[in-house]
Amino acid sequence: MIERYIYAVTQKLPQNQRDDIAIELRGLIEDMIEERIGSGEASNQVVEEVLLELGSPREMANKYRGTKKYLIGPELYDPFLIVLKIVLISMSVGLGAVFVIQSIITPPEILDHFVKLIVALVTGLPQALGWVALMFVLVEYGGGLKTKDLGLDKAWSPAMLTAIPDPKRRIKRSEPIIAIIFYVIIMVWFAFSSDFFGIYVFNDNGFKEVVPFLNEEAFSMYMPFVLLFFATFIVKECLKLISGKWTMKLVGYTTVINILGIVVIFFLITGDSFWNPEFMNDLVQAGVVAEGSEGYQIGEAIWRNSTRITVAILLIGLVWDIIDGWIKARKK
Amino acid sequence: MNEQEHIDKLMLELRRGTITIGVLSQLSSPQYGYSLVTMLNEKGVPVEPGTLYPLLRRLEKQGLLESSWDTNEARPRKYYVLSEMGKAVYEQLCKEWEGIVRSLDDLIHTRKDEENGDD
Repeated sequence: MIERYIYAVTQKLPQNQRDDIAIELRGLIEDMIEERIGSGEASNQVVEEVLLELGSPREMANKYRGTKKYLIGPELYDPFLIVLKIVLISMSVGLGAVFVIQSIITPPEILDHFVKLIVALVTGLPQALGWVALMFVLVEYGGGLKTKDLGLDKAWSPAMLTAIPDPKRRIKRSEPIIAIIFYVIIMVWFAFSSDFFGIYVFNDNGFKEVVPFLNEEAFSMYMPFVLLFFATFIVKECLKLISGKWTMKLVGYTTVINILGIVVIFFLITGDSFWNPEFMNDLVQAGVVAEGSEGYQIGEAIWRNSTRITVAILLIGLVWDIIDGWIKARKK
Repeated sequence: MNEQEHIDKLMLELRRGTITIGVLSQLSSPQYGYSLVTMLNEKGVPVEPGTLYPLLRRLEKQGLLESSWDTNEARPRKYYVLSEMGKAVYEQLCKEWEGIVRSLDDLIHTRKDEENGDD
């Protein structure tokens, strides 16, 4: 019984301390038994008494372990809750929107869509919870963003009070929150139905079809990267939310993530297979424009330019985000 | 929570800090864990082994205590003794403690006097 107890305690402790603590505990238990009955064979009852006095192995191990018994510490717990709420709510909203759109597209299959919505919620929300938690655990333990950097350090003095950040340096909480909501909803849409991005064609009987912007066949291949891409951006927004003001460190992270984003966009979107190569033909078939008409040419010009412009806007946006951060972080 | 539970909880917090001083006070000569438990209990500072043993390890890790294994006896025992730093820290702690006692005595007694004065 004694050995079992010792095993149960040491099992919960770091490898390198186990042997030492085991010997110590054995000595302690024997001392305690000896005190009760003197020398001689101890009955089970005495051993039980002693072990009861020592308390459950879990409590004992906890006392030995001492510090850091949490995955996400008190400093990060608040931002964790905020991000979690945002992600879960916006994910539900995104999925709900998917359901609504699908029901508009094919009303007879509404029950089917509803089942899919429930399945997506049940599988998706715990996953989101897991990812958000993982991200915060990495921040907590990776120490990339130490509490010290965030001004949450315990050793604190009034001298450390930074001037109330210049309003221009401050990051309004609403900014990253809106960005996260936006990213999550887009992610959900990408993940569940990439063909939502397109032109909705209606005829007299209501909805007819969607002419997708994206190349659906190639897209399933891209999907993991796109999702990962958005995930990193959500990380970026979370860091902003945690930090609350522009600092050089934050700008550093932003720069890295944005450059990553630029690279991804460059390879992904500028490739031929990202956009729907049959977009114009699809439009013709959907009866939106007639081939060879003036409308067709205008449409084609818009289509061709708009894909380029989208890329350009995204790139400029990312670069601006970096520059903007730099400017704001430098303000004293 | 009833009255007794509040008292228990506050006493727990109060003891937590004083146990460290109690332990350090007894370690100018080497002691092993259980002998310390008995010693402190006899002197009216009850401490559970489950609290003391991890505390000893923590203090050792912090450099306030030094330890050595004695394998000559019936069972191997880990003896702890104050390190140089531990001695200095203990002395300073004693001063701090006396300061606390003085100030609190003052607070408690002043209040009593005032109450008596009101009567």
